[in-house]
Amino acid sequence: MSGSVVWVVSPKETSRRSSGFNQFAGVKRRCWRSSSAGWSCARSASTARRSVSASLVVTPPPRSSEELVYDVVLRQAALVGEARRKRAVEAPPAPLRGDLLDAAYERCGEVCAEYAKTFYLGTMLMTPERRRAIWAIYVWCRRTDELVDGPNASHITPTALDRWSNRLEDLFAGRPYDMYDAALSDTVSKFPVDMQPFKDMTEGMRMDLRKSRYNNFDELYLYCYYVAGTVGLMSVPVMGIAPDSKASTASVYSAALALGIANQLTNILRDVGEDSRRGRVYLPQDELAQAGLSDDDVLEGRVTGKWRTFMKGQITRARMFFDEAEKGIYELNSASRWPVLASLLLYRQILDAIEANDYNNFTKRAYVGKAKKLASLPLAYAKALIVGPSKFAGTLLQF
Amino acid sequence: MAAAAATTVVALLSPFHPPPGSSRQTSKPIVVFTSLHAWRSLPPLRRLVASPRFGIVHCSSSGDNSSAASDNSGFCIIEGPETLQDFVQMQLQEIQDNIRSRRNKIFLLMEEVRRLRIQQRIKSAECSGDSCEDNEMPDIPSTIPFLPHMTPKTLRQLYLTSFSFAFGIIVFGGLLAPTLELKLGLGGTSYEDFIRNMHLPLQLSQVDPIVASFSGGAVGVISALMLLEANNVEQQEKKRCKYCHGTGYLVCARCSASGVFLSIESISIPDGCSGPLQPPTTQRCTNCSGTGKVMCPTCLCTGMAMASEHDPRIDPFD
Repeated sequence: MSGSVVWVVSPKETSRRSSGFNQFAGVKRRCWRSSSAGWSCARSASTARRSVSASLVVTPPPRSSEELVYDVVLRQAALVGEARRKRAVEAPPAPLRGDLLDAAYERCGEVCAEYAKTFYLGTMLMTPERRRAIWAIYVWCRRTDELVDGPNASHITPTALDRWSNRLEDLFAGRPYDMYDAALSDTVSKFPVDMQPFKDMTEGMRMDLRKSRYNNFDELYLYCYYVAGTVGLMSVPVMGIAPDSKASTASVYSAALALGIANQLTNILRDVGEDSRRGRVYLPQDELAQAGLSDDDVLEGRVTGKWRTFMKGQITRARMFFDEAEKGIYELNSASRWPVLASLLLYRQILDAIEANDYNNFTKRAYVGKAKKLASLPLAYAKALIVGPSKFAGTLLQF
Repeated sequence: MAAAAATTVVALLSPFHPPPGSSRQTSKPIVVFTSLHAWRSLPPLRRLVASPRFGIVHCSSSGDNSSAASDNSGFCIIEGPETLQDFVQMQLQEIQDNIRSRRNKIFLLMEEVRRLRIQQRIKSAECSGDSCEDNEMPDIPSTIPFLPHMTPKTLRQLYLTSFSFAFGIIVFGGLLAPTLELKLGLGGTSYEDFIRNMHLPLQLSQVDPIVASFSGGAVGVISALMLLEANNVEQQEKKRCKYCHGTGYLVCARCSASGVFLSIESISIPDGCSGPLQPPTTQRCTNCSGTGKVMCPTCLCTGMAMASEHDPRIDPFD
């Protein structure tokens, strides 16, 4: 399920961005990369590489997004073990004074409650320590998003993003700049969170300033990774893996990644109309072409038989990612399974709502009612309680 | 005279001293907005070009190097640990001159914006016939809960409605109710009987009508004012930056809001030597320059959720 592409970065085009937060930091970004190889199902990269070597402009070897992202997952998983050993040796970072730190976490919670009410309610299902940590991560992601997409975004230069990146590095080294940085710094000192997903998210923001369309699913996958998959990777160390789980760390991270991707795909499928009215199409162009549709059909916004078929395929793929993610949730710490499962169930219902709207995501908003949302909670609780971690290693994902 | 003015302004505009360590004095003025016709005599300096269509700001230099590395010396709106060091080498008089020249520029630029807006209004009225909605005019939110936004027209309607309501109630209470023998109790029972039936303290039935109406009116007014104020606070809060709660600043993490931090070099942890420990010295926090707070990057020290050029930047000393 991988394709080989050549990355040709074309920075000349910039366009106004708009974003929406879905799961807590699933921000819409635009990545522009034109690929000269189309969607291919061949796993071997070598043959494809030879055929595109002539048009190779950027020197890194062409690999699919999924492979690149999986590398990040492996690295993160490897770091978890390393971090545990390292933390015993390293001196603790200079913290914010105790009561100020608590106040900082309180403020993180307030910001989260203000901007993401359902998500905030979801965090209430977690243990207090984890809740605070997730809030701190949320606030960092939100602030980064507001830098490039908020009301004052027109004053942000690439230098500003560099400075923001430097602040990120500093806070990981125990030198936070302000109180919200201090909360995140405390979180990363208590949980083995890696810096790479944060950097990737900033990179996604940087790239987002020059984007328009996605040629194939590979590009879309990378985009979804940058804005939503990173969030999954950030939160797994906080949620914790069950000690009696036999599944590999990498597979749990992959599942978290899948959940992020699934959430972002759901977001995209729900907001097709809204995005198209802003001139943005987040659907892979080649798949649209295969279904006999074009960009103009999307921008026009008419629901036809072809559109329904196309949407059915897209929804099936999103559901597949949800299923992949669900397997990994049972490997998490027992206290964390309920909130994560609840959010998965809630978000998956949006896909059902799209189907119920007869695939009209142009004018109708796929909405899950409060009653349905509340009903998912006991269901998630029951599932979290009954299903436990897998007893056999390697039963999760085959990659 | 124009040349003299230009050189004075240029002299005032060379604030950015090179970072410590570099000996060469380069005049790299910052943030000169492109002015249309006001200062044509000014030589083209490093310009900050705002491109609203793209939503990002490019730091471009018209002079020597236009590589991406030039961005490092460009102005950057958010703070970092080394921001406030940029101006540390300037003398007090120099700083005051810089502040004064920049405030002058802001003043003149606002006037230019005003003139441009007039032109914009004229031109857009020509193009589109009917006058387009000027969305710069602030929408007056209503302080009465649940009411839509107010305009001078709806204000008249509000006056009419309120006066007629008040008059109607006075007429009803004073004239109609006694005629209809409207009683509190069901089935025409008197007030006293009602009090007795409800087992309330009997002195309630002895309340003088004037006192009763005064109390009722006062309670009404007080609760109305309270609701209005609560609604107003809610409206203002919506405009407040949620991250800094309108203060424009966040607590500095380096010094934990105290303004100073312990200098680590003076604390030595001896591995076996018996020398006395040096008392730790405190030095002014470099992050916040001793104020204990740093800029809120979301509202850029304005305290408002949507910062505009009209919003003053809050000083950290307040």
